[in-house]
Amino acid sequence: MPNPTQTPALEFVGVSYAYPGAAVAGTKGGVGEAIRGVTLDVRVGERVGILGPNGGGKSTLLKIALGLLDGYEGKVSVFGRPPSVARREGLVGYVPQRVEAELGLPVSARQVVQMAATVGMPAWRPSGARVRTKVDECLSMVGASDFASQAVGKLSGGQLQRVMIARALAREPRMLMLDEPTVGIDAAGQQRFSALIERLNKGLGLTIVVVSHDLRTIATSCDRVACLRRTLHYHDAPGGLTPAVLAEVFSHDIEAVFGEVHIDAHAAADCHDPTHHHHHAHDHGGGGQG
Amino acid sequence: MRTIEYLFTPELASTYWAIVVAGLAIAVFAGALSVLVVVKRLAFIGQGVSHAAFGGVGLAYLIGVGAGSDLGGRFALLGVLLAFSLAAALGIAWLGERSGARTDTAIGIVLAVSMALGFVLLREAGARAAATGSPAPPAIEGVLFGSVVTVTWLDAWIAVGTAALLLGAMFLARRPMLFWAFDERVCEAFGAPGAKMKILLLCLLAIAVVVTVKLAGVVLATALFVLPGAISLRLADRLWVVIGVSIVAAVVGVLGGLVISFESNLQVGPGVVLALAAMYALSMLTGVGTRRLA
Repeated sequence: MPNPTQTPALEFVGVSYAYPGAAVAGTKGGVGEAIRGVTLDVRVGERVGILGPNGGGKSTLLKIALGLLDGYEGKVSVFGRPPSVARREGLVGYVPQRVEAELGLPVSARQVVQMAATVGMPAWRPSGARVRTKVDECLSMVGASDFASQAVGKLSGGQLQRVMIARALAREPRMLMLDEPTVGIDAAGQQRFSALIERLNKGLGLTIVVVSHDLRTIATSCDRVACLRRTLHYHDAPGGLTPAVLAEVFSHDIEAVFGEVHIDAHAAADCHDPTHHHHHAHDHGGGGQG
Repeated sequence: MRTIEYLFTPELASTYWAIVVAGLAIAVFAGALSVLVVVKRLAFIGQGVSHAAFGGVGLAYLIGVGAGSDLGGRFALLGVLLAFSLAAALGIAWLGERSGARTDTAIGIVLAVSMALGFVLLREAGARAAATGSPAPPAIEGVLFGSVVTVTWLDAWIAVGTAALLLGAMFLARRPMLFWAFDERVCEAFGAPGAKMKILLLCLLAIAVVVTVKLAGVVLATALFVLPGAISLRLADRLWVVIGVSIVAAVVGVLGGLVISFESNLQVGPGVVLALAAMYALSMLTGVGTRRLA
């Protein structure tokens, strides 16, 4: 169970970020901002989903947490460290949207995981038995042992995603951040994904952050949800998400977007931190930035 | 067959074996780099880089460093060529990323400008050489399509040294290079030096192209960095096998090209390209590789 006295896995306090140039292009104050005034914390061992429309600032938030984007306002810490330090220490495993990898490269699933396991190793040192064992462990943890020697270009979307998760695990992170993990994955694959996230969370004690525009993905794999459209609109258990909040975040009729919404009602995580209650923003303008 | 005659007649053997050794060394590093060039879609950048060498040849002869046949002279020529090619490679990469200009536009401009510049400079160098009696620049046809008659043992050893340098660098950088090749956008998140790998590969490509230009010519040199990888990616789907097949394809292509060249007095470049193209056509009949790229 998450321990409220422990240093949070991820903490954002009043974080704003505007891409250089975007601020110049914006005519009114804040229009060029990708995210504004985001306060969020993810405790060790939690599974938190960040839900929002495309262009709502999700990837900006992710990049900041990964230590890839500097120059933000506010305070960000990852396991009590600045994000860039946490990145160097390999505390955060990153699972990108899979479409960005070069699947034409003739490498096997095992080689992809090995790349991450050996990335910082001196060139003259052979990878050896220890790396092999670690790579095998990561592959079996995500259920990818069966297709470990297949070329990545021949894997299905769900298989490839598991390989990407295994790759993130190869650096032995304490938190896993997943970007749009279920794009292009069928319903059965989504179920396997949720089961895998639960296994990594409960079995390895990994803190999980899932960033997605897909409500189902988050509802079925997370304990808590934060809704992001430039700023946080909602921050609590997914069971409490109402169509009204969703409509506000996505500025659409939710039923039209998602069909009939069934939210898997996980028990609301008991959350004593006052900052966790509804951060409602009064800024409904803009959108579409970031 | 003239090839047999050239290689095994004592008076001719030394001259022609130098060409073969240079060709083999070039084939080895070209084949190894080729897989990365195809996977990272650098074929067109390679064109820009090799055409930039044409401007380099023109400048080298104009300022009088092109004609030296000793080691210093060769390195001076290669140095000027490398300066042009590196500037082209890094300039194209920079233009493509920073200014928002499209990479293909940048290459189109660099390519045309260096060809025009090379032509003007070579004409000027020729006129000056005729007036002063200094060594004449090489025939433009040879610069464009390659010429074997000027390849010496010195060139052969430079090619062998280049092969050692490039393969060594690729071996030392294999881990971050592979990570970058597979998933460029997440390098930083995983602590892999992505931007450096791109610059390293462009530098290796510029060095490789500059050494290849003498044999295959500035127009056709890049074929050696594209076709072997394209062939091997169709024939195999295991990384080390693909690289091995690519090297073998390059070696076969260069040897085939040399035979065509010796037999028919053709420039080497076209012979190599046609030999590799024939192999590529054959490889299209198979269905082993992943086919996503080639």
